[in-house]
Amino acid sequence: MALRDIKPTRSELINLKRKIQLSERGYKILKMKRDGLILEFFKVLADAKDCKGDLLKKHARAVEMMALANTVEGAIGVKSAAFSVKEVPQIALKSKNIMGVVVPQIESSKVKKTLADRGYGVLGTSTVIDETASAFEELVEAIILSAEIETTMKRLLDEIEKTKRRVNALEFKVIPELTAARDFIKMRLDEMEREELFRMKKIKARSTS
Amino acid sequence: MGVNISAPYIYVCTRMRVRKAKLLPREEYMRMLNMSVAEITRVIEETEYKQEIDELGTAFKGIDLVEVALSWNLAKEYQKIQEIAPGTLKGFTHAYLRRWDIQNVLTILRGKVQGEKPGKIKEILIPAGSLDKVVLDRLLSEESNDRIIELLKGHRMFPVLAREFPAARESGSFSHMENELYKQFYAEILADAKAGIKGASAFLSYIQLEIDIKNAKTLFRLRVDAQTDEDVRDMFVAGGTLSINDFTSLDSIRDTNEFIDQLKVNFRNESLHALMDELKGQKGSISGIEVRLTRVQLEQMEKMSKRNPFSIHPILVYLEKKKYEVFNLRALARGKESRLPSEKIAEYLVM
Repeated sequence: MALRDIKPTRSELINLKRKIQLSERGYKILKMKRDGLILEFFKVLADAKDCKGDLLKKHARAVEMMALANTVEGAIGVKSAAFSVKEVPQIALKSKNIMGVVVPQIESSKVKKTLADRGYGVLGTSTVIDETASAFEELVEAIILSAEIETTMKRLLDEIEKTKRRVNALEFKVIPELTAARDFIKMRLDEMEREELFRMKKIKARSTS
Repeated sequence: MGVNISAPYIYVCTRMRVRKAKLLPREEYMRMLNMSVAEITRVIEETEYKQEIDELGTAFKGIDLVEVALSWNLAKEYQKIQEIAPGTLKGFTHAYLRRWDIQNVLTILRGKVQGEKPGKIKEILIPAGSLDKVVLDRLLSEESNDRIIELLKGHRMFPVLAREFPAARESGSFSHMENELYKQFYAEILADAKAGIKGASAFLSYIQLEIDIKNAKTLFRLRVDAQTDEDVRDMFVAGGTLSINDFTSLDSIRDTNEFIDQLKVNFRNESLHALMDELKGQKGSISGIEVRLTRVQLEQMEKMSKRNPFSIHPILVYLEKKKYEVFNLRALARGKESRLPSEKIAEYLVM
């Protein structure tokens, strides 16, 4: 806002003062929100780190088990056992609120199955198929958990970024500009008052002489 | 067997021994463990698998070619042995190889349920049983599983399929049906072995050994997670040393050492005892234990075949050893392709 565009009037000054008050209140609240979000983010970050580590470990194990299953049973045996899979895990998306940020809450159908529920017979397969199926079930569970935590983390990060931008805009742009405008109006009003006083004195002096 | 052994028996048993002697020795596997995938493939190409590799070269490539060629060679070899086996031995061999029919039929049924194309399902069939390529192709060309089962009318599997398939289709899980098919298979070969035909006792002793090993493997598998009593009973194969009550009570023991002790009490086999002693206090994977149990089974079969040189035993030993040669070569090729360490691959080789 250029100072030349500002009308140096009392009503404008009152308006500006109101705006400055509002901005400062908003600035304080947003700063608190940002700090709160950062605290929440660090909490989620710790979970995310554990979850990611766990996911990578489970992924490595699943890949190793698949390699082992292909080695022991051959791709033929693995494909034949894979035909037994009757259902894919279903996930339901819900949401929860962390300091105004809507984050997902993922609920899935049961991924981990017992030997009898996997769909293949025990008498025609070998243990390596069980171990591989189990490794992949654990991996899918870890992926679902990780998806929830990582999305929460991304949303929190986006919100922190957005809030930080708003706080900075208020702190370094909006409030200083409003304060400058307020000071300018105050100065102009003082000047106008002084001019008026001087003019009055001049009129009084002319009328007495 | 007695002293009156007919010439065809001697001829076939001798041929089996010759074929067995041609199988790859342990040293060759150890040598192959240090080779790359390309070198292993070349070695396989230079052995009896060459014909299948050449035949399938246009349809498959790389490691899939090796695997399919090995399976086709196994199927061809099994078909050939069924042809040359004389008299009752033919019947026993035929009965013994029917397990491949179960595997093939189940793969077709499952593949159809999954909506797989017939070509894709065909790639993973191994026509080593009584259902040859022509029959399997006919089954594959059928649209519905009901028609496939109808086509199997007259086959020994049919009664179980007809009884169990509606429930399996309803639940979407073929596991119970698969277990029932295998149980029926063992019940039938046991009945054949107990029929009092010449040479049946030798067949019976092997089938009982196989059932014992199968039950022992299942019990180890069941230790990974708790199952309901009904599920446990579903996985028991009757006809071996264990009764269903022994099986369920063994499954209920949670302490591993106590379980192994009880298993030892139930089995009289010395090699199994030795293995149980080794397993006590050890922490290994269940699949590792399974391979060791298979090794004990083969070792026992070898002993049986030496005791009864002109019986079904030499044929069964060859069938099993040939199967494990194929499995070992496949394991070497796949294991190397997946960059598994040689020691890990060696753990799973049945030598």
